[in-house]
Amino acid sequence: MSFKCYKDKIDEGDTVILYLSNNLHAIEVQTEIKNKKGEMVENVFQTTFGALKVKNLIGIEYGSRVELSKGWGHVIQPTPELWSLTLPHRTQIIYTPDISMILLQLDLVPGAIVIEAGTGSGSLTHALIRRVRPNGHVYTFDFHDHRAKLAREEFESHGIADFVTAQHRDVLEQGFGADLSGKADAVFLDLPKPWDGVPHAVDAFKQEGGRFCSFSPCIEQVQRTCETLEQHGFQDISTMEVLQTELKVSRRTVSVRDLSFLKHKSVDNPVEEKPSSDKSYVVGAWPASTPGHTGYLTVATLPPAFLRKATVKPENGKSAPTEVIELKSDSESGEDKLVVDEG
Amino acid sequence: MIPKATKRNKEYQLEIVKETASLKDEIGIKSCGSDNRNIYDDGHSQKLTANEIHDLKSDSSKAAYIVETLITNSNTFHYKTEFSQDKYLKKKEKKYFEYIQILKPNLRIISETLYKLEPTKVQGIRSDTLSQIITMANISCDGNHLLYDSGSNGLVAAALLSAMGELSTGRLIHMHPGNMSQKQALLAMNFSSEQYSKCISVNVYSVLRQYYQGCDTNTIEKTHDILENTSTLKRKGETIEQIAKIPKIAESDEKPVPITDESDRHLLEPKKPKWHFDNIEASNVLTEKMDSLVIACKEDPQNIFLELSKFVKPGRPFVIYYSVAEPLQNLFVTLKSQSNVAALKLTCNWMRNYQILPERTHPEVLMNGSSGFLLTGYILK
Repeated sequence: MSFKCYKDKIDEGDTVILYLSNNLHAIEVQTEIKNKKGEMVENVFQTTFGALKVKNLIGIEYGSRVELSKGWGHVIQPTPELWSLTLPHRTQIIYTPDISMILLQLDLVPGAIVIEAGTGSGSLTHALIRRVRPNGHVYTFDFHDHRAKLAREEFESHGIADFVTAQHRDVLEQGFGADLSGKADAVFLDLPKPWDGVPHAVDAFKQEGGRFCSFSPCIEQVQRTCETLEQHGFQDISTMEVLQTELKVSRRTVSVRDLSFLKHKSVDNPVEEKPSSDKSYVVGAWPASTPGHTGYLTVATLPPAFLRKATVKPENGKSAPTEVIELKSDSESGEDKLVVDEG
Repeated sequence: MIPKATKRNKEYQLEIVKETASLKDEIGIKSCGSDNRNIYDDGHSQKLTANEIHDLKSDSSKAAYIVETLITNSNTFHYKTEFSQDKYLKKKEKKYFEYIQILKPNLRIISETLYKLEPTKVQGIRSDTLSQIITMANISCDGNHLLYDSGSNGLVAAALLSAMGELSTGRLIHMHPGNMSQKQALLAMNFSSEQYSKCISVNVYSVLRQYYQGCDTNTIEKTHDILENTSTLKRKGETIEQIAKIPKIAESDEKPVPITDESDRHLLEPKKPKWHFDNIEASNVLTEKMDSLVIACKEDPQNIFLELSKFVKPGRPFVIYYSVAEPLQNLFVTLKSQSNVAALKLTCNWMRNYQILPERTHPEVLMNGSSGFLLTGYILK
């Protein structure tokens, strides 16, 4: 229940982050858990520094040090960022640098209505919920039945179910549903064929329009998405890549080799041909290996309905490939202006 | 945008349009070449002279007509490849079809605009870095947040306040070192007065004096009358010699916006100025302890962090921005040796934009190489 708001002390049912010298673990604070045989046993979390009796965490203050048999750790209240680093992976997930940019690019503020497809492991969903709380809402969809169910359970146990509706649905086939037509301020797609989701996104946006963002690892996906976005009257279409590098900071002592004395004959014989002194620096070293690609973020604005100019009539269903061909033949007439039906 | 007929001045008249025109759609282009083997850059490809073009510009009402005439009088246009014709039309579109769009401000637009105008005025905080400041500080609709900002023109405060939202139950304490806080970005966001009032901007010296000494001025000055007292306050209450000498105050003002006589008079008139109550209120919020700490400073971040981190609850995040790495590297080493922070990380960002066009997809020719650096972590008990 520890994702909803800031807490001072750990209660039973909270998820806490255990920080052990650069290792992070998420622990659900339950005094007892089921063992392999299905019996309830005392919940003991094994770490490299020894065992932690989870029961002992209840009532202590977040940020406190906890003693382990071979060392100690600290407990921190989870944030969406810490959760992204510790969550159980059910899919590839989106990490904080991309998440941050997605939140900014979608113009999300508390109160916003945002659609996300697919839910995946819920890494982005947690950050979306935090941003739109208390009066906004996240509608998240996944075409994988079990994943949608797990996500729902997770939001429930994290105490944030009030701000999110997690559904099992293939949005490329079925759209976001009539309930969401004309409701969304922002739509985010992380799907294999995002271009097929674009007409559904247009349908889901409010009359005032809104912001669209798609996350795709491959440039071919981006090209098709951009083409479709343009056909559906989106403006300010832009694609970017955001990467983060962590610098390894350390104090480094380097030896100083003096060569100037060689200009003159020395009185000392033999001369010491070795470094003469040391100098100390604090350095930030760039890692030899660092993330080089996560995905392309394609963002766009859907203008308000009275300004929308779609060169292609958005048809129901998914006939995008044929639309592309149609468009090329009749693109001279910029006249077929069309106000998208918001139904 | 319609240029006024004079040659030199760049004045425009605005006219509301229902829809923007696209040159490519308006001008039917029949033929194109396959490569540039027949195109020579000899300066003779355009048959019209500069004067003729200018006359054309002032005579014709339709931009498409101008460009069409240019094309008809161009020797080379029809030898250009389709892609190159596209590029040519794009360029002309910029020149003759000028539109402006009036948009509602939001953090994305404000941050991109301020950065584009002059990165140094927002301490070089690029939008991707700004977005990470908000997430890494775990800003949400509840909780009290502490910000120290010495020169981003209110951008970081605007970012945090925007993420806190209108219904926020918390406060943002915005500490700054100058006489007046920088508010450009905060004001540009058009926050409702309710949301805006969640941000308390206070001078860092006054508020800490208020917190520790229960009074936001030096105690010696309490005997002076209120007028003198106020102007001393404006000098951060440190020297008594310059009381009531307004010009001197303005002179020694290190802030980019000098204090005008008018605003001084405005502050002197009420018995106790608003910022006096702000200091008290902020100091009360500080007593309750804060849920995050954000620092975006020009000074060395070490002392500022060590002092302000005392106000942060254990287990809560902090984010320190600096435009170059070295001050943060030094702080990193200090904090590592003290071991009262967790998950300490020094990061920097890389961002590249792409041109996505059929068969012409590539990274943008120019990219921005300076994102600044973030030192992030969590405060421990």
